[in-house]
Amino acid sequence: MLTRRQLLQTTGQGFGALAFASMQAAETSHRSQVIAPKAKRVVQLFMGGAASHIDLFDFKPALIKHHGEESNFGEAVEAFQNGLGPWKKPVWDFKAYGQSGKMLSEAVAPLGACADDMAFVHNMVGKTGVHSQGTLLQATGFNLPGFPGMGCWVSYALGSISDNLPTFVVLPDHRGFASNGPKNWDSAFLPSQHAGTIIYPGAEVPIADLFPHKNGRYISARSDRGGFDLLEKLNRKHAALREEDSRLESRIQSYELAAKMQLAAPEALDISKESDAMKTMYGIQEHRKVWPTEINAEEEADYMGRKCLAARRLLERGVRFVQIWSGNDNGFPRRNWDSHEDVERDHGPLAWGMAKAVSALILDLKQRGLLDETIILWTTEFGRMPSTQGGKGRDHNPYVFTNWLCGGGIKGGVVAGESDQWGYKPLDRANPTTCYDIHATMLHLLGIDHEKLTVRHNGLDRRLTDVHGHVIRDLLV
Amino acid sequence: MRFLCHLILSTTSALAVDFVREVRPIFEKHCYECHGAEKQKNDYRLDIKAVALKHVKPGQSAESTLFRFVSGLEKDTPMPPKSKLSSAELETLKRWIDEGANWPDGVDVAKLEDKTDWWAFKPLKVASDSAEDSAKLELKLKPLSIDAFIEAKLKEKGLTPAPRADVRTLIRRLFFDLTGLPPTPSDLSDWSDLSDERYEQLVDHLLASPRHGERWARHWLDAVHYGETHGYDKDKPRFNAWPYRDYVIRALNNDKPYARFIEEQIAGDGLYPGTVDGITALGFIAAGPWDYIGHAEVPETKLDGKIARHLDRDDMVQNAIGTVCSLTIQCAQCHNHKFDPITQEDYYSLHAVFAAIDRTEVDYYPDDASMQKFAALQKQKKRLADQIAALEAPLKQKAGEAYTALSKRIDGAAEKGANPNAKPDFGWHSAISPTQDATKWVQVDLGKSVQVERIVLKPCYDDYGKIGGGFGFPVRFKVEVSDDPEFKTGVSLVWRKHDATFMQDFANPGLKPFESGTAGDDGVTGRFVRVTAVKLASRRGDYIFALAELEVYDSKTGPNLAAGKPVTSLDSIEAPPRWRKTNLTDGIAPESRSEEDKKQLIRQRDALMLAQADEARKKQLVALRKERDSQPALPAPQKVYAGAVHYGSGAFKGTHGTPRTIQVLKRGDLKQPAQEVGPNTIQALAGLFDIPFAVWGHNESDRRAALAKWITHPNNALTWRSIVNRVWQHHFGRGLVETANDFGRMGAKPSHPELLDWLAVTFRDDLGGSLKKLHKLIVMSEAYRRTSFPTRSGNELENSFYARQTRRKLDAEAVRDSILAVSGKLDLTMGGPSFQDFVIDKPQHSPHYEYHLHDPEDPKSHRRSIYRFIVRSQQQPFMTVLDCADPSMRVDKRNESLSPLQALAMMNNGLTVTMAKHFAAHAGSVKRAFQLALAREPTAEELAALEDYAKREGLENACRVILNLNEFSFVD
Repeated sequence: MLTRRQLLQTTGQGFGALAFASMQAAETSHRSQVIAPKAKRVVQLFMGGAASHIDLFDFKPALIKHHGEESNFGEAVEAFQNGLGPWKKPVWDFKAYGQSGKMLSEAVAPLGACADDMAFVHNMVGKTGVHSQGTLLQATGFNLPGFPGMGCWVSYALGSISDNLPTFVVLPDHRGFASNGPKNWDSAFLPSQHAGTIIYPGAEVPIADLFPHKNGRYISARSDRGGFDLLEKLNRKHAALREEDSRLESRIQSYELAAKMQLAAPEALDISKESDAMKTMYGIQEHRKVWPTEINAEEEADYMGRKCLAARRLLERGVRFVQIWSGNDNGFPRRNWDSHEDVERDHGPLAWGMAKAVSALILDLKQRGLLDETIILWTTEFGRMPSTQGGKGRDHNPYVFTNWLCGGGIKGGVVAGESDQWGYKPLDRANPTTCYDIHATMLHLLGIDHEKLTVRHNGLDRRLTDVHGHVIRDLLV
Repeated sequence: MRFLCHLILSTTSALAVDFVREVRPIFEKHCYECHGAEKQKNDYRLDIKAVALKHVKPGQSAESTLFRFVSGLEKDTPMPPKSKLSSAELETLKRWIDEGANWPDGVDVAKLEDKTDWWAFKPLKVASDSAEDSAKLELKLKPLSIDAFIEAKLKEKGLTPAPRADVRTLIRRLFFDLTGLPPTPSDLSDWSDLSDERYEQLVDHLLASPRHGERWARHWLDAVHYGETHGYDKDKPRFNAWPYRDYVIRALNNDKPYARFIEEQIAGDGLYPGTVDGITALGFIAAGPWDYIGHAEVPETKLDGKIARHLDRDDMVQNAIGTVCSLTIQCAQCHNHKFDPITQEDYYSLHAVFAAIDRTEVDYYPDDASMQKFAALQKQKKRLADQIAALEAPLKQKAGEAYTALSKRIDGAAEKGANPNAKPDFGWHSAISPTQDATKWVQVDLGKSVQVERIVLKPCYDDYGKIGGGFGFPVRFKVEVSDDPEFKTGVSLVWRKHDATFMQDFANPGLKPFESGTAGDDGVTGRFVRVTAVKLASRRGDYIFALAELEVYDSKTGPNLAAGKPVTSLDSIEAPPRWRKTNLTDGIAPESRSEEDKKQLIRQRDALMLAQADEARKKQLVALRKERDSQPALPAPQKVYAGAVHYGSGAFKGTHGTPRTIQVLKRGDLKQPAQEVGPNTIQALAGLFDIPFAVWGHNESDRRAALAKWITHPNNALTWRSIVNRVWQHHFGRGLVETANDFGRMGAKPSHPELLDWLAVTFRDDLGGSLKKLHKLIVMSEAYRRTSFPTRSGNELENSFYARQTRRKLDAEAVRDSILAVSGKLDLTMGGPSFQDFVIDKPQHSPHYEYHLHDPEDPKSHRRSIYRFIVRSQQQPFMTVLDCADPSMRVDKRNESLSPLQALAMMNNGLTVTMAKHFAAHAGSVKRAFQLALAREPTAEELAALEDYAKREGLENACRVILNLNEFSFVD
């Protein structure tokens, strides 16, 4: 059997002789790319389970003032689990940060250092309070399965920057997928190469099938190299008689790219050469082996830090779209943001770990000059109610929640869209912000007109933004 | 009268407003942006007379909605929304309307497009009926055939057909197309003399093979988006979906006529009662995804529950109309279809067809004879029950209170004087709380950590406050398991019942024991089991928590692990013997009456009623009761996951057979319901094709039967064109209409319209809807048998006109099955539950489908791909990277991609790496391996290169290379 080290030393050398233009790099960008792009890359941070806007980013003094009083929404409210107890104040204190004076919760204090780079949208609205539909909506623009993820659309429109790494990479929560699993990043009706490629940084097999399966004990570095060579030789003979069929040539090239990826991916994910200071900044505790059994902030920072550092390395090497997930599907003990029972218990460690790692990612990209051309989007499927469920928890709130953006072409330190005094619904109910607007804005920054990025499928010219979406001008530099 | 005066005035007045010069410019300036050629908000436009005048009452500006909108009289709908008409413009408009709204004919700037004027909405026509041009004239002279049509077109385009492919290519092509498997070297030698006669024999041979149904079922299952998990959140498995998959394979192998094939899938229960196929086929309706949480946890009374059920019906409607008729019906959800003649009302009337059903499990018996036998038995039982009930009705009246009292006892209702407490040890009782929302807990120490499968809470009985059964049973509570007696760490909530008991009020159960957690659903581990009440039971002005018994089981049949185990609680009332902590695990609880008691009571009641009857009635009743009691019991049925009436409770109650009310939804928004609609279909098409839509009976299934009959009607050109096009597509790599799921205006036009219609008519009439005969007709044609190599003589690269065959890349299933076949590992066992090539992690809550934990050596997974358990959320990575169908969407044609990830999968995936080893052992030599994989002899050069490599690296490595050859994955 082949070890990774052996592969690193040997595989792929047999391909050096062939100088083919990269199949993917040669891919021309889509006709929808009509605007001068501000950004080239995207990081999407997805908090699975529905993160509480009012405990993290959307400061509501009224809730402090009226804490414990019977909640009165001024209208009948349907809540997923009828969690309409008394008003509940934010679990953590808020403090002003940066020149903008943006109020942020203690739970996300590390992000304070980036406050002036961040732009908040506090009037996001969803369609339902069901996790699966909400997650699909934010991830694919549709609240039912069968539509490509945002990263797939970007891959389809812009192609790859690098020819030896996937275009769209997904870093799932290592404890499991969020609601809908890969349906959030499947290519659906787009060709399969646009699907998100799952990477588990640090895992024994970080990318599926990158190296031969363990049953292949008969495979050695030498046999692998020789096999690739022989395959190409025989395939070329076959293709020579069928010159008109370009697919055969493409398939030959795909093997060459595969071999390149075998070299590039492990290198991209190897953080051993990063400095200790760098790892510490991301919250990574490299040599720590034992963690408490209970959920805790330092451990969460370590997990999230590894993903964020991997993301930075992948972005540097030409990956176009990285999607990072925090929180698995519902399970017990809870390891996601769905804090029906206890916001403090779940949100506390998850939020601090996320904030520590993500602020490091932002600062790191900035110091490398990459932030200007990388859009960062923080999102979740919906928010949580300003009323309490069972005293410590909060129920789903699809009526308003928060997104924030940062980086490439985004104006820092602004708030584009406010929620009402409780954080229950948008302040201006007639003009909420939807995922379509967020997606349209991000595509715009990537130089894409969201109305022109279409693919005909079953009779409709499908778009990421369905038939909606407006570029949010207030967010742009 | 007033109107008339105005009319006269307007036609006589010299000052009459001129529409073109004065009115239309107002519309242009203010209205066309939203109500013109580009957009027609609310389906209204002001550039076409017929539409515009809908909101105009000539002569009555004040009554005309158009004027009311623009003049601000309708405060809620000011038009235009962002600007205002000047007072002069308003005056002009007012005068124009009051003068009779004179809009001359022929001045419209736009034309209302006739949506029905499109090839797909024309009745089927056989080419020989018309001979408009020379090509068709020529056709008339020859007997009609596929080749006649194809060659006429080639001639017209000046193209020369390519010659026939060689024998080896034809054999390989036929094997893959008709069975999805490669020919073996012995197949090759058996058919090496491929004369026309032998070719036909080979076609018949392959069509008769059971492998044929397995191959073509996959194409159908793609189109109907069949999967074996729900999708969405949790993605729970459907362990009984497979009988539908087997139905499709069986139907294709038995060559079931197409009309019946469709009718069974939409309304088999109603149209073909008493048949296995009539039930299992209904898996079609339930094939697609289903929002489990949106149904199981959210009732229909909530908006989110309504949305989930709306999406569910939308999926059913799409599956029926989109798959069978190739129409994009879903486009009429928010507004009338923009391109095709489908109104929003049509769309919702199709919802009404499916309004009574949900996705649920339906019983069936293994063969038609038992289906009929047991259906008859059930009917007989029902008949007897009805007759007995009719005879008993007056007797009940007569028996009066005595009857009611007995019935009450039978129903287990507790009443005074029948204390069900066998012993004075009632149970455990918390301290009394003045408020209801206090939290109280009680827990049992099992002594060691166990895997908990089932927890039973038995309610108390106490007459205090006339409460009786269910005394002290909490209104909201949760059940948790932990190894920590303090329940601070490692706490597992016993799932599912969680929401029903902790988040919502729980109805008092009386004496009915409460059970939580079932096998395969829960399964948590811990030493302590704690019940926490967060909303207490009401007593008389105060609140308590009491339980008679707490039982814990680690298996279905094992003993109660909590028996005699120590109990602790937040607080308790110790009043022995009635109330004390140890009572909770003493095995004593008030039993709701035993079965024997119940039978005894029923006998008493029967006797009571009999005593009221006169002799004649008594005789009748005794006879009927005897007959009832002598009826044999029904055996346990099999189950299929299908579209059917659901008889549930809680949030997912189903309809119990009464169709839901369906209303047209403005903008597709459930918050804006408009008029109610009944079951119907696309009205414009019913008219065009002259097919009535009639619901004959009052059963729920009659609605679906009506739709099924409408779809399969001989006049329904869409249905017949759709299927012949799908079959053609899989034989030629491209449909005669390239958009097999969309025959509407947004889809493609047929490349050979006459051929398409001829095929549809021939299939419907001459072939009697036999798909096997259709396959034969197609693969016997010269067009099918041509080489896929371009010839020099004017072949165009696109090959739009079938001058040659299309080289095809094998789909994921064919690749996987071929790998197994050439390795000698393919298990051809047919039917039954699907094999799983994954390990389910955390099945108790949201299953994780871990493919990488599966051992490719597991022989259970060596069956054909059609028998693979199809997970919706997390698709099989190897198959997915090879572009297998996404079971969340209806797939008419697979994507065909090539990527480095695909190359990595073919080189390194467990399947190829493992099978290459078996392939080597099975083949024994490079030469034989080559023959098995590619159905030809290697050239000397190929053989030398492979043998040289095999000598250095071993045959397994050479076999791994062979599996990765382009030629292995492409069929000429």
